[in-house]
Amino acid sequence: MEKELKVGIGDMKLNRGEGRIITYALGSCIGITFYDPAIRLGALLHIMLPARFNDKDPNVFKYADTGIRETLRKLAAFGMMKSRTVIKIAGGAKMFEISGNTDFGNIGQRNAASVKQILQQEGFRIKAEDTGGSHARTMYIDLANGDVVVRSFGRPERHL
Amino acid sequence: MKLRRYEDLNLQELDVMKEIGSIGTSHAATSLSKMLQKEIRISIPQVRVLGYDEAVDQIGDVESLASATLVKMTGDVDGLMLFLFNLDFANTVLDRVIGESYHRFEEMDQLAYSALTEIGNIIICSYINAFSQLVNVDIDLSVPSATVNMLGAILTVPIAEYGYDTDKLMYCNADFVMDGKQLSAWLLMLPDIPSLNNILEKLGVS
Repeated sequence: MEKELKVGIGDMKLNRGEGRIITYALGSCIGITFYDPAIRLGALLHIMLPARFNDKDPNVFKYADTGIRETLRKLAAFGMMKSRTVIKIAGGAKMFEISGNTDFGNIGQRNAASVKQILQQEGFRIKAEDTGGSHARTMYIDLANGDVVVRSFGRPERHL
Repeated sequence: MKLRRYEDLNLQELDVMKEIGSIGTSHAATSLSKMLQKEIRISIPQVRVLGYDEAVDQIGDVESLASATLVKMTGDVDGLMLFLFNLDFANTVLDRVIGESYHRFEEMDQLAYSALTEIGNIIICSYINAFSQLVNVDIDLSVPSATVNMLGAILTVPIAEYGYDTDKLMYCNADFVMDGKQLSAWLLMLPDIPSLNNILEKLGVS
């Protein structure tokens, strides 16, 4: 069977060569794939919140800011070249709509905004995205060719 | 001593929460029973403090579809209340209420959705009513919001909401038994940490 690495919530996995890296049921969370085609190095990061406020929190991958920076640092150590890197994102759905309480449940939107801002600060461009809406998504990257697939329920699979 | 995290709850405090959960759930079951005109039994509720992955494992497959009604609590207790159920539960209820049942969640129409939202709302309200009388607190509830979505994603909602304070969920689950058939539903009452302290203090256990 093809090798599959599973990424949990607030987690990141990276690998080279072949197999998949997958993360299930992204709600308001965001999945970010990084891929360097020349060396077939890929990573999938699953963040939950826009920014880390408590410096002592050791769980860096939970937050967009610390998570993206740590992932980039690790990928660079494995030989990723910035100019070749392809980044795709998915998730950031609004799971519940509470009338009269607009602040609640827009965490997905805030996550997406934060992810984009941080990637821009780090000098990366997002090649494709599937964000927003109200449906959960499962996302995986195929390390052999960098193909990123997003699947949900009641709609066809989407290749980003 | 003030709690700082859900996992700080000691056995006695967990027992108290279990007792409250039990009273709340039986009220919820009574309302459901009245509404469906059917005898409903419940199992003894369990209260657990779990990490996200463990909670998902307890409830089912991450990608499986579930329906949930969510209400936000404000007032003396701030937090979320989530009522979560699978297709089996939805069908049993819908069959009694609107005389329809469905093979998949995707087939449901607007009527079925609003029936389910309302049922979730009634169950949550009876739970909160019982709870607030027992603890003697005033709780305001928001308009209910419902979704059909992947189970894993529904459970990330409270985790993300309290993500800055804790990585754990405190949940209370009860199985409803109707016509000898076990129907799984989960009621998650998720007070934030200050409210949890407030509840325990009011009950004289902290």
